[in-house]
Amino acid sequence: MFIDAMGLILADNNKISLGELSKPRALAAVPFGGRYRIIDYMLSDMVNSGIKSVGILTLNKYKSLMDHLGTGASWDLDRKTFGLHILPPYVNSEATGVEDAEELAGILDYVRSNRSAYAIIANSNMILNTTFNDFVEKHEQSGADVSVMYNRDGTKYGIPNYIFDVDRKGYVKDMLFNPQKTTSNRCSLGIIVLRRELLLDLIAEMIARGERSFGVHAITKKYDTLRIRAHEYKGLVLRINNVQTYFNSSMMLLDDKVRADLFWKGMPIYTKVKDEAPALYSDSSTVSNSILSDGCRIMGSVTNSMLFRGVTISKNSKIHNCVIMQDVHVSENCELENVILDKNSVIRPGIKLVGHRDFPVVIGKGAIV
Amino acid sequence: MAKTDVVAMILAGGQGARLGVLTKYIAKPAVPFGSRYRIIDFPLSNCANSGIETVGVLSQYQPLALNTYVGNGHPWDLDRNNGGAYILPPYQRSGRSDWYKGTANAIYQNKDFIDDCEPQYVLILSGDHIYKMNYARMLRDHIQSHADATLAVLEVPWEEAPRFGILNTGADDVISEFVEKPKNPESNLASMGVYIFTWDVLRKALIEDENDPSSNNDFGKNIVPMLLKQGKKLVAYRFSGYWKDVGTISSLWEANMDLLDRPEEINLMDRSWRIYSRNPVKPSHYIADGAVVRNSALTDGCQIFGTVEHSVLSNSVTVERGAVVKDSVLMPGVTVRAGAYLNKCIVGFNTIIGEGVRAGATIEGKTPYINGKICSEGIVVIERGLKISDHAVIPANCQVDSDLEVDPAENVVEEVFRVV
Repeated sequence: MFIDAMGLILADNNKISLGELSKPRALAAVPFGGRYRIIDYMLSDMVNSGIKSVGILTLNKYKSLMDHLGTGASWDLDRKTFGLHILPPYVNSEATGVEDAEELAGILDYVRSNRSAYAIIANSNMILNTTFNDFVEKHEQSGADVSVMYNRDGTKYGIPNYIFDVDRKGYVKDMLFNPQKTTSNRCSLGIIVLRRELLLDLIAEMIARGERSFGVHAITKKYDTLRIRAHEYKGLVLRINNVQTYFNSSMMLLDDKVRADLFWKGMPIYTKVKDEAPALYSDSSTVSNSILSDGCRIMGSVTNSMLFRGVTISKNSKIHNCVIMQDVHVSENCELENVILDKNSVIRPGIKLVGHRDFPVVIGKGAIV
Repeated sequence: MAKTDVVAMILAGGQGARLGVLTKYIAKPAVPFGSRYRIIDFPLSNCANSGIETVGVLSQYQPLALNTYVGNGHPWDLDRNNGGAYILPPYQRSGRSDWYKGTANAIYQNKDFIDDCEPQYVLILSGDHIYKMNYARMLRDHIQSHADATLAVLEVPWEEAPRFGILNTGADDVISEFVEKPKNPESNLASMGVYIFTWDVLRKALIEDENDPSSNNDFGKNIVPMLLKQGKKLVAYRFSGYWKDVGTISSLWEANMDLLDRPEEINLMDRSWRIYSRNPVKPSHYIADGAVVRNSALTDGCQIFGTVEHSVLSNSVTVERGAVVKDSVLMPGVTVRAGAYLNKCIVGFNTIIGEGVRAGATIEGKTPYINGKICSEGIVVIERGLKISDHAVIPANCQVDSDLEVDPAENVVEEVFRVV
């Protein structure tokens, strides 16, 4: 597949917090879906579209993201020309007082050095499996300045949401953030395409105006001066807007249709390879309606749950409606229900933890309970 | 080529005829093993973990799958600027061309490759053993004992010794004699097919061996006895730990079952000595409501709706509702349709077991597929890329081979498709 575009993914989103889960890491680096991190989906979508140059914009807490992405080899982005670039905040010690402009200057250099005709910019809180070839082609044909993707099921994922109102020709005429009342159900997917040259102009203008932040919606709010076309995406999208939607979206993966759409469409979702051993189930294991990953050792009971790599569930422990991240150890005789356990946490023998379906208990990274 | 102290050469060109249809289209080292792995992952990972970074893989028989699997060596961290993994097929020279005639001849034909690395030592490995071994320790002993060659040995139970190549040793484990499959063994030290040679010594021996028209050009049969006759110092290096030759259907099945019954022996969970493999890029596996999974090993891409007991499943295996898989080894992409029953079966890549099929050790019946030469202990082997007809019955010790000419009434193969 050929596409003349570069990708930019925004690893952070200051409007979204996943509480304990996004405390030690950027939003994009939060584990999601068994063996993946949130960013794997968008990054794979770009790679599967034929994009060979992707910049990841980070603000802070990007160590875990950098560990995960490495050279980009797992996404075939370890390339001589272009490939994967992590763009940490750009700090220029000589300039004082114009911090935001400094941040944007780093992006400006990166975008300028590229040679693609188009740039696709995406937030990283959307989980979808698609390619952007049709999106770019329709944008090109329309003659619009910017195209933005939306779908119509965003409101059921709770706030935050950007809602678009469009005119008869499908161009954005209004954009509202978490409106109380709205005449539209067009919810932004935080994915836009525009000519790279136009992006350069926009960033330069932002710098000149001393604007606070760069982002997808900082561009789409310029609907007064730019012709912004709304592009409906009809496929499956899981939105990660807060801890509840993170939990619900994880549970949605237990649905055969959702998994078929996200994982078995012939476009693989790539992730960092871990070389764990296969998962081992013992004589005493009972497992149903669950996703499990390599390196797991299951001796207890697991139902309606999602287990990441290297999780141990000991004898006589019962796991129900849980999301359990990498290398967690659950000791014997525990009962966990509606719990999210972050990486490396340890549950000592006999512990009982019960959350509510709408308010799961979240145990932070490395915690010992 | 960059100079290096030690070069590893993996003998991966053999057919592995005793694995029957499993090696019809792929060389033995590329046969899937232990859910996530191929057999060759073990010597390759051992090399990487031992710090050996120049590895030649000698391929000849059905090389496509093996060559694409090894590729540039990236999964084993063997995509090096200096060294790395090299696929070494037989090649044409001006005037003539030769296939690899034997294990020693394969190395002989690649002596230029080894010379270019200017190594002091050469490690010879075979591509059909499952074990974890630190070759660096063996090399250290080789250097300290001033040996010309060091052969890794395993103490086997005396009653099993007649099945192996046995090394008789004297003081300090210096080897005095090599006996292939002795009826009355004098020692129980079995050769593991892991050799370290001082390159100068091996180089001369290979040339001499090549000039002997009566030689089989084989390390065990020719090179080792020749060096002993010449009075060279050959030393045994005692290895203890899990080691298994997976050259036959029954040993391949057993080694897979060992992962379930004695997981601590090979210990694949050991993070200090990971066994690396090429990743299939599939999502985590899914166990459905109503499924039963017990005492089994599963990996990415599996989707289980039925019952899996005491079995080893490779990536992307689907077991449909009501199907039962017991004591079996299913290779990547196998589908077991609803209501099928498998017991002690080894099923090749992407084969579809039709609805209600009954196959395996507990099934009785008469059919031309029964093959006592390849199969034993009731194990059923099914070729890759087949659709087995719904409700077919495949009794114990069958090998389902699409090339076998059978009466249409007895045929269990509905379709043969190409496996990529």
